[in-house]
Amino acid sequence: MAEIKATTTLDTSGKCCPMPMVETTKAIKALAPGDILEIVATDVGTRRDIPSWCERSGHTLLSMTEQDKVLRYFVRKA
Amino acid sequence: MKSMAIVVRDDAYDKILTPLAFAYLAAAEGTKVDMLFVNWAVKALTKEGAESLKVDGRHAEQDAWVRERVAKAGLPPDVYDIIKALKDTGNVNFYACSLAGAIFGVDDKNLVPEAEGIVGASWFLNEKAAKAEHYQYF
Repeated sequence: MAEIKATTTLDTSGKCCPMPMVETTKAIKALAPGDILEIVATDVGTRRDIPSWCERSGHTLLSMTEQDKVLRYFVRKA
Repeated sequence: MKSMAIVVRDDAYDKILTPLAFAYLAAAEGTKVDMLFVNWAVKALTKEGAESLKVDGRHAEQDAWVRERVAKAGLPPDVYDIIKALKDTGNVNFYACSLAGAIFGVDDKNLVPEAEGIVGASWFLNEKAAKAEHYQYF
Protein backbone atom coordinates (compact mmCIF):
# COMPACT_ATOMS: atom_id res chain seq x y z
CA MET A 1 0.00 0.00 0.00
CA ALA A 2 1.35 3.42 -0.94
CA GLU A 3 2.24 5.66 1.97
CA ILE A 4 -0.35 8.30 2.78
CA LYS A 5 1.09 11.76 3.13
CA ALA A 6 -0.64 13.83 5.78
CA THR A 7 -1.12 17.56 5.46
CA THR A 8 -0.90 17.82 9.21
CA THR A 9 -0.64 15.51 12.21
CA LEU A 10 -2.58 15.70 15.45
CA ASP A 11 -1.12 13.75 18.33
CA THR A 12 -3.66 13.03 21.07
CA SER A 13 -1.56 10.38 22.77
CA GLY A 14 -2.39 10.01 26.44
CA LYS A 15 -5.63 11.95 26.19
CA CYS A 16 -9.04 10.41 26.67
CA CYS A 17 -12.60 11.14 25.66
CA PRO A 18 -13.75 13.81 24.95
CA MET A 19 -10.42 15.43 24.07
CA PRO A 20 -9.31 13.34 21.04
CA MET A 21 -12.61 14.05 19.28
CA VAL A 22 -12.74 17.69 20.40
CA GLU A 23 -9.21 18.25 19.11
CA THR A 24 -9.85 16.27 15.92
CA THR A 25 -12.93 18.29 14.97
CA LYS A 26 -10.99 21.47 15.69
CA ALA A 27 -7.99 20.36 13.65
CA ILE A 28 -10.03 19.40 10.60
CA LYS A 29 -11.69 22.82 10.57
CA ALA A 30 -8.30 24.40 9.98
CA LEU A 31 -7.70 22.31 6.85
CA ALA A 32 -8.87 22.78 3.28
CA PRO A 33 -11.09 20.25 1.48
CA GLY A 34 -8.95 17.39 0.21
CA ASP A 35 -6.29 17.88 2.87
CA ILE A 36 -5.35 14.87 4.94
CA LEU A 37 -5.31 14.84 8.73
CA GLU A 38 -3.29 12.21 10.51
CA ILE A 39 -4.56 11.50 14.03
CA VAL A 40 -2.47 9.62 16.54
CA ALA A 41 -4.39 8.32 19.54
CA THR A 42 -4.09 5.97 22.46
CA ASP A 43 -7.74 6.22 23.58
CA VAL A 44 -9.34 2.97 22.41
CA GLY A 45 -12.68 4.80 22.25
CA THR A 46 -11.46 6.43 19.06
CA ARG A 47 -11.64 3.03 17.29
CA ARG A 48 -15.36 3.64 16.89
CA ASP A 49 -15.55 7.41 17.44
CA ILE A 50 -13.42 8.40 14.48
CA PRO A 51 -14.95 6.08 11.84
CA SER A 52 -18.48 7.07 12.87
CA TRP A 53 -17.55 10.76 12.92
CA CYS A 54 -16.16 10.41 9.37
CA GLU A 55 -19.39 8.79 8.25
CA ARG A 56 -21.50 11.55 9.80
CA SER A 57 -19.40 14.43 8.62
CA GLY A 58 -18.61 13.20 5.11
CA HIS A 59 -14.85 13.00 5.64
CA THR A 60 -13.09 9.93 4.27
CA LEU A 61 -11.26 7.55 6.57
CA LEU A 62 -8.35 6.51 4.38
CA SER A 63 -6.62 4.30 6.87
CA MET A 64 -6.80 3.08 10.43
CA THR A 65 -3.95 1.10 11.96
CA GLU A 66 -3.00 -0.01 15.43
CA GLN A 67 0.44 -0.92 16.60
CA ASP A 68 1.72 -1.25 20.15
CA LYS A 69 -1.47 0.33 21.52
CA VAL A 70 -1.04 3.38 19.28
CA LEU A 71 -3.87 4.07 16.86
CA ARG A 72 -3.20 6.00 13.68
CA TYR A 73 -5.91 7.41 11.44
CA PHE A 74 -5.65 9.21 8.12
CA VAL A 75 -8.72 11.28 7.27
CA ARG A 76 -9.33 13.21 4.06
CA LYS A 77 -11.37 16.34 4.62
CA ALA A 78 -14.61 16.53 2.62
CA MET B 1 -27.46 15.90 15.45
CA LYS B 2 -28.48 19.54 15.39
CA SER B 3 -29.50 20.15 18.97
CA MET B 4 -29.24 18.61 22.39
CA ALA B 5 -30.73 19.58 25.76
CA ILE B 6 -29.22 18.41 29.03
CA VAL B 7 -30.54 18.76 32.57
CA VAL B 8 -27.85 18.46 35.22
CA ARG B 9 -28.89 17.68 38.79
CA ASP B 10 -25.95 15.93 40.36
CA ASP B 11 -23.21 18.22 41.61
CA ALA B 12 -20.57 15.71 42.64
CA TYR B 13 -17.31 16.56 40.85
CA ASP B 14 -16.98 13.15 39.23
CA LYS B 15 -20.63 12.94 38.24
CA ILE B 16 -20.81 16.37 36.64
CA LEU B 17 -17.94 15.47 34.33
CA THR B 18 -20.09 13.21 32.15
CA PRO B 19 -22.70 15.77 31.06
CA LEU B 20 -19.93 18.31 30.52
CA ALA B 21 -17.91 15.84 28.42
CA PHE B 22 -20.97 14.87 26.36
CA ALA B 23 -21.77 18.54 25.79
CA TYR B 24 -18.17 19.17 24.75
CA LEU B 25 -18.23 16.31 22.24
CA ALA B 26 -21.52 17.42 20.72
CA ALA B 27 -20.58 21.10 20.63
CA ALA B 28 -17.25 20.32 18.98
CA GLU B 29 -19.17 18.76 16.10
CA GLY B 30 -21.42 21.79 15.77
CA THR B 31 -24.43 20.61 17.79
CA LYS B 32 -26.23 23.37 19.68
CA VAL B 33 -26.33 22.33 23.33
CA ASP B 34 -28.58 23.85 26.00
CA MET B 35 -27.86 22.88 29.60
CA LEU B 36 -30.13 23.53 32.57
CA PHE B 37 -28.56 23.20 36.02
CA VAL B 38 -31.06 22.23 38.70
CA ASN B 39 -30.95 21.37 42.40
CA TRP B 40 -27.45 21.52 43.96
CA ALA B 41 -25.84 21.48 40.52
CA VAL B 42 -26.95 25.09 40.01
CA LYS B 43 -24.03 26.08 42.23
CA ALA B 44 -21.65 24.84 39.53
CA LEU B 45 -22.67 27.97 37.62
CA THR B 46 -21.02 30.16 40.23
CA LYS B 47 -17.26 30.49 40.43
CA GLU B 48 -17.18 29.62 44.10
CA GLY B 49 -19.57 26.72 43.64
CA ALA B 50 -17.62 25.27 40.71
CA GLU B 51 -14.42 25.41 42.73
CA SER B 52 -16.05 23.69 45.70
CA LEU B 53 -17.30 20.62 43.83
CA LYS B 54 -15.95 17.41 45.29
CA VAL B 55 -16.07 13.74 44.60
CA ASP B 56 -18.61 12.49 47.13
CA GLY B 57 -20.09 9.31 48.52
CA ARG B 58 -18.03 6.17 48.67
CA HIS B 59 -15.40 7.61 46.30
CA ALA B 60 -14.86 10.82 48.30
CA GLU B 61 -11.37 9.85 49.38
CA GLN B 62 -10.27 9.60 45.76
CA ASP B 63 -10.94 13.26 44.91
CA ALA B 64 -7.30 14.18 44.26
CA TRP B 65 -6.71 11.02 42.26
CA VAL B 66 -9.75 11.72 40.05
CA ARG B 67 -8.57 15.29 39.36
CA GLU B 68 -5.15 14.01 38.44
CA ARG B 69 -6.69 11.51 36.00
CA VAL B 70 -8.94 14.19 34.51
CA ALA B 71 -5.92 16.38 33.82
CA LYS B 72 -4.10 13.42 32.30
CA ALA B 73 -7.07 12.80 30.02
CA GLY B 74 -6.62 16.32 28.68
CA LEU B 75 -9.57 18.05 30.30
CA PRO B 76 -9.01 21.01 32.61
CA PRO B 77 -9.43 19.57 36.12
CA ASP B 78 -11.28 22.68 37.29
CA VAL B 79 -15.00 22.62 36.45
CA TYR B 80 -15.13 26.36 35.78
CA ASP B 81 -12.35 25.95 33.21
CA ILE B 82 -14.38 23.20 31.53
CA ILE B 83 -17.40 25.51 31.45
CA LYS B 84 -15.25 28.20 29.82
CA ALA B 85 -13.92 25.70 27.26
CA LEU B 86 -17.46 24.65 26.40
CA LYS B 87 -18.52 28.27 26.05
CA ASP B 88 -15.58 28.89 23.71
CA THR B 89 -17.03 26.39 21.23
CA GLY B 90 -19.83 28.91 20.64
CA ASN B 91 -22.37 26.11 20.77
CA VAL B 92 -23.22 25.72 24.45
CA ASN B 93 -25.72 27.71 26.49
CA PHE B 94 -25.80 27.38 30.27
CA TYR B 95 -28.97 28.13 32.22
CA ALA B 96 -29.61 28.17 35.96
CA CYS B 97 -32.99 26.91 37.15
CA SER B 98 -34.82 29.71 38.99
CA LEU B 99 -36.16 27.42 41.70
CA ALA B 100 -32.71 25.93 42.30
CA GLY B 101 -31.22 29.40 42.31
CA ALA B 102 -33.71 30.57 44.95
CA ILE B 103 -33.10 27.53 47.15
CA PHE B 104 -29.36 27.16 46.80
CA GLY B 105 -28.37 30.81 46.65
CA VAL B 106 -27.57 31.52 43.00
CA ASP B 107 -28.62 34.83 41.49
CA ASP B 108 -27.55 37.23 38.76
CA LYS B 109 -24.80 38.57 41.02
CA ASN B 110 -22.87 35.33 41.50
CA LEU B 111 -23.74 33.58 38.23
CA VAL B 112 -20.69 33.10 36.03
CA PRO B 113 -20.63 35.33 32.92
CA GLU B 114 -20.61 32.23 30.72
CA ALA B 115 -24.20 31.47 31.81
CA GLU B 116 -27.11 32.85 29.81
CA GLY B 117 -29.13 33.55 32.95
CA ILE B 118 -31.67 32.26 35.41
CA VAL B 119 -34.70 30.70 33.77
CA GLY B 120 -37.90 28.94 34.69
CA ALA B 121 -37.97 25.20 34.18
CA SER B 122 -41.17 25.49 32.15
CA TRP B 123 -39.43 27.67 29.59
CA PHE B 124 -36.47 25.32 29.36
CA LEU B 125 -38.56 22.17 29.10
CA ASN B 126 -40.86 23.61 26.44
CA GLU B 127 -38.51 25.81 24.45
CA LYS B 128 -35.29 23.82 24.69
CA ALA B 129 -35.81 20.23 25.87
CA ALA B 130 -39.00 19.52 23.90
CA LYS B 131 -37.56 21.05 20.74
CA ALA B 132 -34.14 19.43 20.98
CA GLU B 133 -33.28 16.46 18.84
CA HIS B 134 -31.83 14.72 21.84
CA TYR B 135 -32.47 15.14 25.55
CA GLN B 136 -30.43 13.88 28.47
CA TYR B 137 -30.83 14.02 32.23
CA PHE B 138 -27.96 13.61 34.67
